Amino acid sequence: MIMNNDNFLQNLTKICGSRNISREPKDLEEYSKDLSFLKGKSPLCIVWPSKSQEVIKIVKLANDLKFHVIPVSLNSRFKQHGNSIPRKDKSIILNLSRMNKILSINRKNRVVMVEPGVTFEKLIPILKKEGLKLLLPVMPTASQSVLATALEREPITIPRYHWDSSDPLLCIEVVFGTGDLFRTGTAAGPGTIKQQQKMGQAQVNPMGPTQFSPFRIIQGAQGSLGVVTWATLKLELFPSIQKVYHLQSDNIQDLLDLQYELLKYRLCDELFILNDVNLACLLKEDQQEISQLVGNLERWNLIFIISGRGPLANDKISYLEGDIDDISAELGLNFSKSKVEITDKEIFHFLNEPCENPWRMRLKGAYQDMFFLTSFEKLPKFISLMETKFEKDLGIYIQPINQGTSYHIEFDLLYDPKDINEMKSIKEKNMGVRAQLMDFGAFFSKPYGLWAKDVFSHHSLEIIDALKKVKKIFDPNNVLNPGVLCFDD
Amino acid sequence: MLKEEILKEFQKIVGDENIDDGEVTTNTYAYNWCVEFVNYLANKDPIPFSSIPKAIILPSTTEEVQKIVQLCNKYDIQFKAQSTGLGPWNQPSTDNCVILDLRRMNKIVKIDVKNLYVVVEPYVSGAQIQVEVMKFGLNIHMPGAGPMASALASHTSMCGPGFTSPQTGHSARNVLGTEWVLPTGKILRLGSLGLKKESDWYSGDGPGPSLRGIMRGWVGTKSGLGVFTRVAMKLFPYPCNTKYIAKGHSPLYDFHLPDFIRAYLLDCRNFKHLEKSLLRIEEEEIAFICSHMSSFAVMAIFSYSLESLMDKIAIGSMKKPLVIVIAARTKREFDYKQKVMNLIMDELNLTNIIGSKYEPKSLFYAECLRANLGYHGFIATGGFQSAKGQCDTAALCLNTERKNIPLKQKYIEKGVIANDFGEGAWMTSYESGHYFHMEVPTLFDQTNAESVKGIAEYMEESNQMDLVKHLGTPFFIEGDELHDEWGPHLMNYHIWLRKIKETFDPNGISDPGFYISSKKGDV
Ligand SMILES: Cc1cc2nc3c(=O)[nH]c(=O)nc-3n(C[C@H](O)[C@H](O)[C@H](O)COP(=O)(O)OP(=O)(O)OC[C@H]3O[C@@H](n4cnc5c(N)ncnc54)[C@H](O)[C@@H]3O)c2cc1C
Repeated sequence: MIMNNDNFLQNLTKICGSRNISREPKDLEEYSKDLSFLKGKSPLCIVWPSKSQEVIKIVKLANDLKFHVIPVSLNSRFKQHGNSIPRKDKSIILNLSRMNKILSINRKNRVVMVEPGVTFEKLIPILKKEGLKLLLPVMPTASQSVLATALEREPITIPRYHWDSSDPLLCIEVVFGTGDLFRTGTAAGPGTIKQQQKMGQAQVNPMGPTQFSPFRIIQGAQGSLGVVTWATLKLELFPSIQKVYHLQSDNIQDLLDLQYELLKYRLCDELFILNDVNLACLLKEDQQEISQLVGNLERWNLIFIISGRGPLANDKISYLEGDIDDISAELGLNFSKSKVEITDKEIFHFLNEPCENPWRMRLKGAYQDMFFLTSFEKLPKFISLMETKFEKDLGIYIQPINQGTSYHIEFDLLYDPKDINEMKSIKEKNMGVRAQLMDFGAFFSKPYGLWAKDVFSHHSLEIIDALKKVKKIFDPNNVLNPGVLCFDD
Repeated sequence: MLKEEILKEFQKIVGDENIDDGEVTTNTYAYNWCVEFVNYLANKDPIPFSSIPKAIILPSTTEEVQKIVQLCNKYDIQFKAQSTGLGPWNQPSTDNCVILDLRRMNKIVKIDVKNLYVVVEPYVSGAQIQVEVMKFGLNIHMPGAGPMASALASHTSMCGPGFTSPQTGHSARNVLGTEWVLPTGKILRLGSLGLKKESDWYSGDGPGPSLRGIMRGWVGTKSGLGVFTRVAMKLFPYPCNTKYIAKGHSPLYDFHLPDFIRAYLLDCRNFKHLEKSLLRIEEEEIAFICSHMSSFAVMAIFSYSLESLMDKIAIGSMKKPLVIVIAARTKREFDYKQKVMNLIMDELNLTNIIGSKYEPKSLFYAECLRANLGYHGFIATGGFQSAKGQCDTAALCLNTERKNIPLKQKYIEKGVIANDFGEGAWMTSYESGHYFHMEVPTLFDQTNAESVKGIAEYMEESNQMDLVKHLGTPFFIEGDELHDEWGPHLMNYHIWLRKIKETFDPNGISDPGFYISSKKGDV
């Protein structure tokens, strides 16, 4: 069937109702850009479905009428990576923010089931009341979708709970690009979710069904293979006592060596390294306060938390303290005390609460981030490279992930969006430096927007070929989010 | 046998001495454990021999594997890869198949201490890896099959539960960079291994979607989708002091216990009490081993011969046994973990049978550390196979176990399987109780046709029960017939799986017997 404006809109209206469709120029404009340097096209309309059945119908319609569907969990003005702005004509935005139910909270099995529109701001306090802890990236934005964050393989701050690179994502319900509904892992069946739950199941095993694990290909696909309509996420129990360690040094290697030992023996919960700029941005909101704090911090900051729960919480803390003291002594490391007082409360705040506006914007008003995976030994090399390129306003965050088998390293280039020259310079350097990082072996496992092409050119053809085959299976008509990853090259 | 000219081409790849299509060798390779009941289920004679492979080929490098696979495509011959080769899933499903025995690919490629992973080839056992990584205070996840099994096969191609799963997880979730010869002969390197510059093994996901989702699921593709030639897998902290001193003679070595290790054998009153205990202990993140077994299985893990099994009737009368092992690196850690166990035992009104009523041999602790408890399953009858294999919550696993008892008892009454009162089960927690595995080992006599027929029918009936009562999916759902039966009840997954097979193996060269074939029509 050929698409014309009438049958297209009529059909969409039939599916979602006219109140859930917008063609307001203001809305269309808003969805055609984000904070990346990528220029998008204007979508034909924005559609807000309220249930999976509507998503199915819309994706099927897109296959019939040959238009594109760009799934967006929430409309945030802080979108950064150009992965949900239309690259092709005839695209609609599928905004899932009205699917915002917390479908179940299961304390016994430490799992929550949420729709894509559930935000950090909404979920964190509700879980806290139940004594449950969501596995968070470092200070997410309040209005960010919890589900979409997990779908993007955003690193969490507790590496020992990052059992697999996919955590905390477990089972998903997804509408493939063909319009077929699917449930992954144990959620696949036998039986409906209700029937499964009656038998005691809680959709906590993400693997399968049987001999494949489709959730893994939906995760990291930037909405180009399927639209996820709910997911289960792994939770942990909230500790009753926590102790913060904040160690500073001018020498990153010393901090890396200590964090390695802590990680190897799984002695702590949250564990990561920040440079002065990023730590200050997490702790303070005001520009001046941030600058002042940067001046008083050492260059590198290792933060880790030990915790206990229940009647033996103190016993646990003292065993961990003892073991950690022994390890530090063995390494012969001495770290300086902070020149300024940073309270535990301030640190817990950025570890456990979301922020209204992205913390990376606090110092200069805007940022571009570069993040990739690498190994322990290569971290200093990348840091040196970046520090020669960006002498100031460079935030750095190092996060061990996946049980310490690799490191997420992130460079945040902070700039003033009102300063045209500065913005231009960041824009130019951005692409050049990325290419250099790739030549040094940086593994951009999440290739977004402008730099995706470059990432794939640094990878073997076999990977690209295999990914395209997968795309052909799950979205043969290239309906979903065309232009992302390597699918259109 | 292969045609002369085809044989010559294979010989050119691996050398004359590394291929054999003679009767003696090919017939020997047709034998495997449990093939008899697989045959029975396929309406064949219940004999322990599969189709006879056309030849056995022993490649020694990835490039040789690649060339063999390309040649198989050229001559339309299927292949079946095997690493340590234990079990019916290693067997060809037709007589147009060669076996790739990967025993010459036996190297530990890299131990990356700083990034906590190891890279191995197919014929490296869990035990070999463990002794090497112990030198750095590290440990490897081994499946319940035991330390002699190929770690690569378990991580890439088979299942994944093991006795140490509370601390070392599931094989499928421990996979990093992977080298994979696709059924077409192309080599796919996953994640950071696929980088053109500075490629490395630390990640198996991306760029973008993770192809690990195609590579395997909760269970692997069992050589149905190419050959894995090298894989990186996570390492975990060794749970205690790494001194491992065993003296004396087989089977009852004397093991010098490391300083900080302790076992608990607890008897829970009923399934509810057991569930509560499992969850409570796992929430505290202290257990190295956290397994529920039937009394009969508890007797078996403490026994080293049939006679000594019979001695243990006293512990055979437990209600719902739970085996916990804690281990620690430091005294502080050990004291804390013991305190937690005492607290929980008080709370739940449990007593430790070990130390009060029973003392296991020191070898038991060695077998815990070495993930070597599984072989005890063979002591009673010489043969066993597991039904079920559910994996989700403790409640689902225990519900399934409970509902299975009357079914098993029916077959015990018929006299075709060994009498474990219908209760035989092994259940473990993963990742400190985030999810659980339960299987029902069943003991039978491989040499007795009635017994083989009995276990096969019992397994079929057990599968049916899981399907109809929504008790989750058993682990042995593989092959066209079962996929076609289960697929419609599980979101029609078989259609997608079949599309993957068609796309990545257009000539159907990777033996689909224990996976899925592309030829059958969709439902
Ligand atoms: C007594 C017993 C108990 C067991 N208990 C458990 C258990 O508790 N938990 C568990 O997870 N598993 C268990 N298993 C199965 C076990 O996981 C595997 O047997 C083992 O992990 C791998 O060793 P293997 O010798 O069986 O491997 P193999 O038999 O060599 O391989 C297993 C499968 O993978 C395929 N394969 C092997 N190597 C490759 C390769 N390089 N490329 C592609 N395909 C390949 C084979 O064709 C075969 O289908 C058990 C098996 C036995 C016999």
